[in-house]
Amino acid sequence: NEEAAVPPEGVQDAVFFIFNNLSKINMSTKSEELRRAVPDEFMPWLGQYLVMKRVTTEPNFHQLFVDLMDALNVPRLREIVLQQTFRSIRALLQNMRPDLNDYNDRSLLKNIGHFLGLLTLAKNRPILFDDMDLKGLLLEAYCKGQVEMHYAVPFVARTLEACSLSPVFRPPSPWTMGIVRVLKELHMDKAVKNSLKFEVEILCKKLEINFDQLDPAYYLRDSDRIRQIEVENCL
Amino acid sequence: LMEELTLKGITQFYAYVQEKHKVHCLNTLFSKLQINQSIIFCNTAQRVELLAKKITELGYSCYYIHARMSQHFRNRVFHDFRQGHCRNLVCTDLFTRGIDIPSVNVVINFDFPKYAETYLHRIGRSGRYGHLGIAINLITYDDRFALKQIEQQLNTEIKAIPKLIDKRLYVSEYQQEGELDD
Repeated sequence: NEEAAVPPEGVQDAVFFIFNNLSKINMSTKSEELRRAVPDEFMPWLGQYLVMKRVTTEPNFHQLFVDLMDALNVPRLREIVLQQTFRSIRALLQNMRPDLNDYNDRSLLKNIGHFLGLLTLAKNRPILFDDMDLKGLLLEAYCKGQVEMHYAVPFVARTLEACSLSPVFRPPSPWTMGIVRVLKELHMDKAVKNSLKFEVEILCKKLEINFDQLDPAYYLRDSDRIRQIEVENCL
Repeated sequence: LMEELTLKGITQFYAYVQEKHKVHCLNTLFSKLQINQSIIFCNTAQRVELLAKKITELGYSCYYIHARMSQHFRNRVFHDFRQGHCRNLVCTDLFTRGIDIPSVNVVINFDFPKYAETYLHRIGRSGRYGHLGIAINLITYDDRFALKQIEQQLNTEIKAIPKLIDKRLYVSEYQQEGELDD
């Protein structure tokens, strides 16, 4: 699954053309064209292309891509795209260089987070603990340092934005609130950079949470828990 | 006004084509590049309409505007384009301030302009943080002198289009990767 078979140039050209011209209005014709252009065996390649080339750099079309998957209605592709999304996130987190504040990677990560939210939460689908532990990621970043936080916090905030679109995950959903309270706890820490605090405040605004009345978690400060962190997590 | 526009951040290419092969060339570009949104310039209102019709038939997502349309209508189309309702905009020379839509990463001169000022208005950006982008000029035999002249007057370089265009030149997220490699 790691190395998806690359289709011949003709197929690639057709796919690039379709993605360069996809819009809300022509969604049904373009999705049919795409379905016809890509033989089944190249679905993994298509999913990889969508996530790695388009999702990462075109946040303005994320909703369009989610709609495209609905229009295509190929369950296998949806699963491939979701798994590719998690894989790209893990790759970006694992390749993080603590010595280097890489604005570029951080913006890719933020974009994928935004897409992940639309793909899952906005559609009332959970982000499973086994796929990605958002709270654990925040804890790990908090313990490790500034650079890690600049990756993890905006990423988590962007992902959770989509909760506002979901009857299931909109506050007061306990899953959502659990993470938002951890973000509030993080916000209280004087050492945390202002830009990250803004991310938290913006998220709360989007989720229509009254920030002042929000109770912080006791999660990051819980020293027992910190001892239990396994290095197996992302960063 | 001209001084505020800059070509910084824009990589410019030309491709020699015959008039009758321009649409084919456009097809090739749209099958090879990664385009977020694009603007395609023609020299006359009539050619704008013709081209827009032609490429819509070919499956492009496009709107068009030109000077012969009412201002109200133009504003509406431009607004919808900015919102991303369609991907490509075919137009004449309407922009006096440079394009300030960050998602437009490809500008194509389907017809090459005669004057440097027109070229700069089409391709130039007004922001200090000029977003990355590429400009592609379709050059016919008749345009060959104008190409050299404009290049000189603007003191810029318009290169022959390579087989593969580096994404770092026009997809902003790939930019810093490039700087690290150097």
